[in-house]
Amino acid sequence: MEFLSNTARDLFPLVWSGMITGCLYALGALGLVMIFKSSRVVNFSHGNVAGFAAFLIYGFSSGVLLELSWGMAVLLTVMAVIAIAFATYAVISPLVFESDLTATIATLGVGLIAQGATLLIFGADIVNLDLPVPRFSMSVLGLLVTGYDLTVLSVAIVTIGALFIVIDYTKLGIAFRAISENPFAAEVCGLNLRSVHLFSWIVAAVLGVVGALLIVPTTFLSVTTVATFMLQAFAAAVIGGFASLPGSLIGGILIGVLMNLFTFYVSPEFSSTFLLGVILLALNIFPNGILQRVGGSRV
Amino acid sequence: MSDQNIAFESPATKLQQILGGNLTSGMLTFGLVVVLCVLPLFVGGSWMFSLGICFANSIGVLAVSTLVRYGGEVSIGHGFFAAIGAYSVAVLDTRYGLSILVSLPLALTLGVASGVLFAWPSRKLSGIYLAVSTMALALAVPEMINNADGLTGGYEGLYVSQPAIAGIKMSFQRYYAALIVLIAVVYALARLRQSRQGLTLLLSKAHPAAADAFGTRKDWARIVVMGISGGIAALCGAMLGFAGSTVSPSGFTLWASIFLLVGSVVSFYGLTLVRALVGGAFLTLIPQFLSASGAWIPVLYGLALLGVILFGHYLPRIKDRIAERKGGLT
Amino acid sequence: MNVAVKALKGEEISLSFGGIKVLQGLDVEFRAGEITGLIGPNGAGKTSLFNCLTGAYSPQSGSITYAGDVLDGLSPAARATKGIVRSFQHVALSPDLTVLENVMVGVARNFHAGWVHAFLPTLRARNEQAAMRASAMDALQELGLAKVADKFPTELPPGMQRLVEIARAIVGKPDVLLLDEPAAGLNNSETRDLMRSLKNLAATDLVMVVVEHDMDLVMSICDRIYVLNFGEIVACGSPQQVRNNDDVVRIYLGSDDD
Repeated sequence: MEFLSNTARDLFPLVWSGMITGCLYALGALGLVMIFKSSRVVNFSHGNVAGFAAFLIYGFSSGVLLELSWGMAVLLTVMAVIAIAFATYAVISPLVFESDLTATIATLGVGLIAQGATLLIFGADIVNLDLPVPRFSMSVLGLLVTGYDLTVLSVAIVTIGALFIVIDYTKLGIAFRAISENPFAAEVCGLNLRSVHLFSWIVAAVLGVVGALLIVPTTFLSVTTVATFMLQAFAAAVIGGFASLPGSLIGGILIGVLMNLFTFYVSPEFSSTFLLGVILLALNIFPNGILQRVGGSRV
Repeated sequence: MSDQNIAFESPATKLQQILGGNLTSGMLTFGLVVVLCVLPLFVGGSWMFSLGICFANSIGVLAVSTLVRYGGEVSIGHGFFAAIGAYSVAVLDTRYGLSILVSLPLALTLGVASGVLFAWPSRKLSGIYLAVSTMALALAVPEMINNADGLTGGYEGLYVSQPAIAGIKMSFQRYYAALIVLIAVVYALARLRQSRQGLTLLLSKAHPAAADAFGTRKDWARIVVMGISGGIAALCGAMLGFAGSTVSPSGFTLWASIFLLVGSVVSFYGLTLVRALVGGAFLTLIPQFLSASGAWIPVLYGLALLGVILFGHYLPRIKDRIAERKGGLT
Repeated sequence: MNVAVKALKGEEISLSFGGIKVLQGLDVEFRAGEITGLIGPNGAGKTSLFNCLTGAYSPQSGSITYAGDVLDGLSPAARATKGIVRSFQHVALSPDLTVLENVMVGVARNFHAGWVHAFLPTLRARNEQAAMRASAMDALQELGLAKVADKFPTELPPGMQRLVEIARAIVGKPDVLLLDEPAAGLNNSETRDLMRSLKNLAATDLVMVVVEHDMDLVMSICDRIYVLNFGEIVACGSPQQVRNNDDVVRIYLGSDDD
């Protein structure tokens, strides 16, 4: 009896907060998967560029670089990030058509540059980035729900909802789907691969900024915060099969909950090892992701 | 997948054909070995120390390049295998007072074993999927070391002080041990290229189905290459520990693994002594020159990585263009 | 009589993909000392049968034996160690290896020096490599390729690459040699050279099977020919018999003339 009530007391808040962070992992994972689906490149610079963006917002709003309102700082940063995505794609696009592995290594180079740029401009110190998140908390069925939780949830739902609408109904979204199904056929049909690639790189970058911003209130902002966060996003993408947008959403939430349960019940000191185990298991047991139906395949 | 691997390799292969005249490169290597052997007579202690680390890093670069050349795969997790080698040396040194004469073979064995152990579950993975799982491997390393602090000394690390041969100045030992291991690895890799196993591995990389039809299974090839590469990486770690005299988790982060890949790319995945030294020097000497402004290191490495990859991409095209123009004139 | 002649046999081989029957209970026998052709229009099941023989596909029913040895369920690698080798329709040579080295891979399965010998200059390693080199050189000589031994495959014209591949297949002295469209992509003179080489290769203890589109080649080098259509054997016999078979004529010339 006591065990049950203990479980209820611990478990539900753990699952709830895991789902909240999981939404953020999903935002990161969606970006990785969009780029992978359209151009077969794993963007290892995702975390570092998003981290750089978080620092830019800090810099634009705190007076380190500029002293703008929070909204203006975000707007300016999003523009900067789009420019970075554009530049990145411009550099690696010739490689994308040659070899996915070479292009993937090239993104490591971009990640290193982003990391170095962050260090050069903002230093290695921890900074405080406050977000205008409503500060309140209420108890729902014994569960403590905070303003931060609701903000994350609503932002995630709106962003992901908008993304799915764009992909399902706009011309660019349809082209994106066609190209991720079969790039060759899509190109034969007159679709422009490059513009779709660019679309996915830009969308991914913006998703990365959103995810990075929302994760910062749970911790502090340092040069490694966001990069570390994005590793969970990688795990989420892998669980989702790396090529499925709904899969990475579920993968993100799964990772969020599992990580919470693992750190609480097993050990907080082995979280990366746990992630390694999860990634290896997921890659080997569900190489096509958890959403892939098991079915007959041709030899 | 195999087709992409060929494409991924071709610029480097072409480059090797352009750069590598057999006779001259043999003489160059011999000359280099001679110079490196007598160098300690002319340079000071701090240079010898840096060069020792440089040789160790060159071994790590070779480990990654071996995986690329023979497996067609990329790893950003070789820091894991290096850590295994480094801690084999450091733990035997501090806990049992044993020198590298004992711990180096152990490091090699454990490196090969862990390479095989890692490759076994992921033997069906290739390309970016393998790269992502190696990344997860690299990430888990510092945490594992810190949590096994009873053995590894945790965050503070361990000090390596046992001489390999008593009575010789330690600074000389650090330099020459690393140099000898580096030359041994280069030599062993040159033998592998001629061997039956090396030939079948290279066919398996390009055409797994063809290798299969001649008795070499793809899974076997993957596991073997990972084992060899893991063993070399462990030697790198062991030499980093011995030549650098300290071993701590901060040396085996994800960044360390990524840097090894950077070194490998910068050396055009070369398996020769010269190429390995280029990669190792890039990883060792640049941070030294930039020690005053450390933030420039990632920027520079990133630029070098992009620069070399783009160079490798455009060079064959530029050559074709030049050849075309020449053809047009005659 | 059959006791003396070794043969690769398939009995009642059936294969289907997702309900589509590709092979419908085929009985085939490929005898040593003969070159057997496997022809038929596109989609007739030639390549599927070929892949069943090499072990790339596992037929749903039926059995494949060589000299009474059951091969069912063995991987291509395991069949290779039993002396059953193949060539590939798309040239599958390593661009990192020279022509000679590519051919050496074909004989690798007959050597067993361990890993120590792969990394150290042991006597056994040297002997093994020398022996592999010598057999590879013999095979290249047999096909008239000795002069390009040290070139890389990408430096050769497609026809020569194809011959290198055949050299790799024969170097290990196989018992069964399966050739998948050896003349694909070759010009006329290259095809003639290939035909001469294949005829020279035929030996009393070698089972040779050729899947091919080129009718002239098949008709002139094969001792026996199987004609497949819709997964069934339409005809079987000597080139002369096949040429005069009404069903075969109809398949190849179209059914509008009856």
